[in-house]
Amino acid sequence: MAISKDVYKEFEDVVGAENISDDPVIKAAYRSPDLTVVLPGNTEEVAAVIKLCNKHKIPYKAQSTGWSFMPPTYDFIFLDLRRMNRIIEINEKNMYAVVEPYVISAELQGELFKRGMICNVKGAGSTCTALAMSGHGHMGLTTSTGDRNDLATEWVTDEGEIIRLGTLGASDEWFCGDGPGPSLRGILRGGGVITKQATKVYHWPGPSEYPLEGVSPRYTLGKKPSDLNMMVRYFSFPSIEKLVEAELKIGESEIAFELMGFCPSMVSSNITTSNEEDFATLDKFTKEVQGPGFMVIIAGNFDEDFAYKKKALAQIIKETDGKSLKTVEDPAVESTLLFQCTRVCASIRETFRAGGMFSSMMVQGQRYDNHVKWLEEGAVLKRELIKKGLVIADDGQQFGWGEEQGHLGHTEIFCRFNPYDEKSSKAVQEWLGKLGKRALDGCFAVPAMGVLPVDEIGKRVSNYHVWFGKLKKAFDPNEVGENTGYSYVGADISGVHTSIYKKEPEKASPKQ
Amino acid sequence: MAIEDYRGDVEMCCRCSACKHIPLQKIKGVEHSEACPSIAKYNFHAYSGSGRLLIAKEMLTNGFKYTDKLLDIVYNCQMCGACDISCKYAMDMEVLEPIYEFRIKAVEEGHTNPALDKAITSLRKQGTMVPGAKAKRGEWAKGLGIKDFLRQKTKVAYHVGCLTSFDKDMWPVARATAKLLNKAGVDFGIGGEVESCCGGRAYQMGYQNDFIRQAQNNMALFKQCSIETLVTSCANGYHAFKVLYDKFGLKGNLEVLHITEYLARLIKEGKLKLNKKVNMTVTYHDPCYLGRLGEPWIHWEGKRIPGYKFVFDPPKEYRRGTHGVYEPPREVLTSIPGLKLSEMDRIKEYAWCCGAGGGVNESNPEFAMWTAKERIEEAESTGAEAIATACPWCEKNFNEAIKESGSGLKVYDIVELVEKAI
Repeated sequence: MAISKDVYKEFEDVVGAENISDDPVIKAAYRSPDLTVVLPGNTEEVAAVIKLCNKHKIPYKAQSTGWSFMPPTYDFIFLDLRRMNRIIEINEKNMYAVVEPYVISAELQGELFKRGMICNVKGAGSTCTALAMSGHGHMGLTTSTGDRNDLATEWVTDEGEIIRLGTLGASDEWFCGDGPGPSLRGILRGGGVITKQATKVYHWPGPSEYPLEGVSPRYTLGKKPSDLNMMVRYFSFPSIEKLVEAELKIGESEIAFELMGFCPSMVSSNITTSNEEDFATLDKFTKEVQGPGFMVIIAGNFDEDFAYKKKALAQIIKETDGKSLKTVEDPAVESTLLFQCTRVCASIRETFRAGGMFSSMMVQGQRYDNHVKWLEEGAVLKRELIKKGLVIADDGQQFGWGEEQGHLGHTEIFCRFNPYDEKSSKAVQEWLGKLGKRALDGCFAVPAMGVLPVDEIGKRVSNYHVWFGKLKKAFDPNEVGENTGYSYVGADISGVHTSIYKKEPEKASPKQ
Repeated sequence: MAIEDYRGDVEMCCRCSACKHIPLQKIKGVEHSEACPSIAKYNFHAYSGSGRLLIAKEMLTNGFKYTDKLLDIVYNCQMCGACDISCKYAMDMEVLEPIYEFRIKAVEEGHTNPALDKAITSLRKQGTMVPGAKAKRGEWAKGLGIKDFLRQKTKVAYHVGCLTSFDKDMWPVARATAKLLNKAGVDFGIGGEVESCCGGRAYQMGYQNDFIRQAQNNMALFKQCSIETLVTSCANGYHAFKVLYDKFGLKGNLEVLHITEYLARLIKEGKLKLNKKVNMTVTYHDPCYLGRLGEPWIHWEGKRIPGYKFVFDPPKEYRRGTHGVYEPPREVLTSIPGLKLSEMDRIKEYAWCCGAGGGVNESNPEFAMWTAKERIEEAESTGAEAIATACPWCEKNFNEAIKESGSGLKVYDIVELVEKAI
């Protein structure tokens, strides 16, 4: 079912004929047969489009860069925010940047480097939007999670109302997300469209531009990391307890610029340029590590600072029985990890390259060591899939790391597989289901991504879903907006990932 | 290979949008972060490398339905390969090859573009991609006493190419090339009236059979004349002779050199001495077909190993733009006394296209101009007085863009700058 010509004309009047299409070929590129794609160029156009959606009770979905497939399952109006790609302001004094949704992290980071600053980048990588939003990343130990970086926000609600949150609600200032002015940060979970947002920025002790040499895909740093007062190491530990002890000590001493809970497969993906090379390197690393690990980047502001941080790190690693992965101590490998991981440029290698898809179960916000048992169970189940040849062999690796100097954390385990192999897809779906259920039954955590029905999760967690449902109804009375953010804890990404790889795409019906 | 052979590759697209941007490490800000002219201009995902693969996937599954919009997407691409390089920084999959095959299939099934048909008609009738050419092929060389390799034995052939031969504005480039080769004592000849199009631009437009016919005829001629080394000053020609002829098993042992490679070699060997100062700040534009697409063809035949990994038997080595021709042009430029090279943000394997490739110059001149103007703006931002390039198609497009935009930037082929230095 497509929208009528008259209704199409109304949308066209908002964005212009060159910025709207319902051509089947255009829709094929968005992986849905029932879309009309609009490309709004500014906040007012977004609001006008959403108001039209309400007027005609047509569902809509908005998307920025669209990392991985998150196709609409019912939508008619698809807002591709590609034209909203401006950096509105970089405020060096108050340390924030204001961006539109299609500014990618690499762009903002590039601009910030020139000013001796950096922004939090989501682990999904720097092709993703620079909006703060949710999502955890490499710098979480010092910058915390994505949504802790939200400041003032311009938000178009599901009814098409433009709301200015935080300081923006009371003035033209962007420096605070909670006021003076309304703060709705807690419910910005997928409803409406964020059209501008201020994100915190941080001090960057590195160069204004990495002196990269060579040609893709083998860039090298023109200098040794130590020449830049920077150092990268990967440490493995005899147990998760020891790892967490090291993380907390590193957090307390505030010596790390970045601490990422990489498993060996993520290290090998980052430093290799093909699957064959990756698998061979992973085999080597798997034999070399003694247990769970993390990658840490030290960045000195000056020589003495660098020397102190290195010394403190060495002491902590000694106290916690950490073991350094020798390969990473090679300056060539170290430098690759340095620019790769501070710029978060190779997440695709870590996730999609090996088989075409990955599915992940993660717990966000709680410390790694809270879920050790659950993770170990997940790893056992994953090894069964590996044994059957259904997912990429990585010895059941999982990972996690501390955020906010170790007080919070992120825990994750994923399987990489071929989504067109039905056996693999089915097995991974079942694995996710078991893992999610076990997380709830064992009172380990509320899984942020999973395949469990929201009712099943909600009733175990103070019926939060009922409250979210009420919020949803209040902000979206015509039910035109995306509902996953309100009904689920985070988007049901894993389910969406696998559903689109069915041989014949399912035609979903509109909601009304 | 056909589009059907790339099903596995098109299915690997994870829609990360890397294909829209230059490699992420190289991004310095919001300016000049785009890699692909087509998505930059038209914005709908369908115009990106990823979008093109997703359309291919849809049509491989549900049949090819040629609509005006599909053909608009298919032909509004310079086939510059920037998407391919950015994707392959991280992924093991082909991007440009399936895009090529999609276009070839469209042409083979009769869904062509009228403007491209016109160019191909010219190729078939006159052996040139410059329709309505008035001059004769070898006219540029009149009075220079250059050998005709059909009649006078020589191992080195200078292939001038269609645009340089038939566009009088380009004749100074050919004349300068001949002068430099003579000065270096190179015994070379030209085909003159028997020279014919390399076929490369026909291939870019999707006319594979026309390309193959040109390639076969050219190679027969070179063999007949015992040509061992072919030198060209056209990036499209270089790509055709060096990469495409090899891809189709037609190149044999012919050594193919771009003039910048040859000049760099002659300068290093001391056969060409650059003495005069050329006090100028110049930025260099890497032509797509000399740079990222100029790397040698890698012959590979194998099958995907069934299962959960995207790996092949034997292992597949991908062309990722690593071995394109990037340094020789820079070596030549920096050998010129007094000349200062000031690089643009997007260079080498992630250079922005001039806009003229893939038939866009013929089918959508406005898009070709838009793309060239973007590059001119980027060149101006370096503070350079001139943009140097190594392809007549780039030079022509830049000159037109400068004329339209009123920019004060000058455009040179590298050989013209070298000529100033001797």
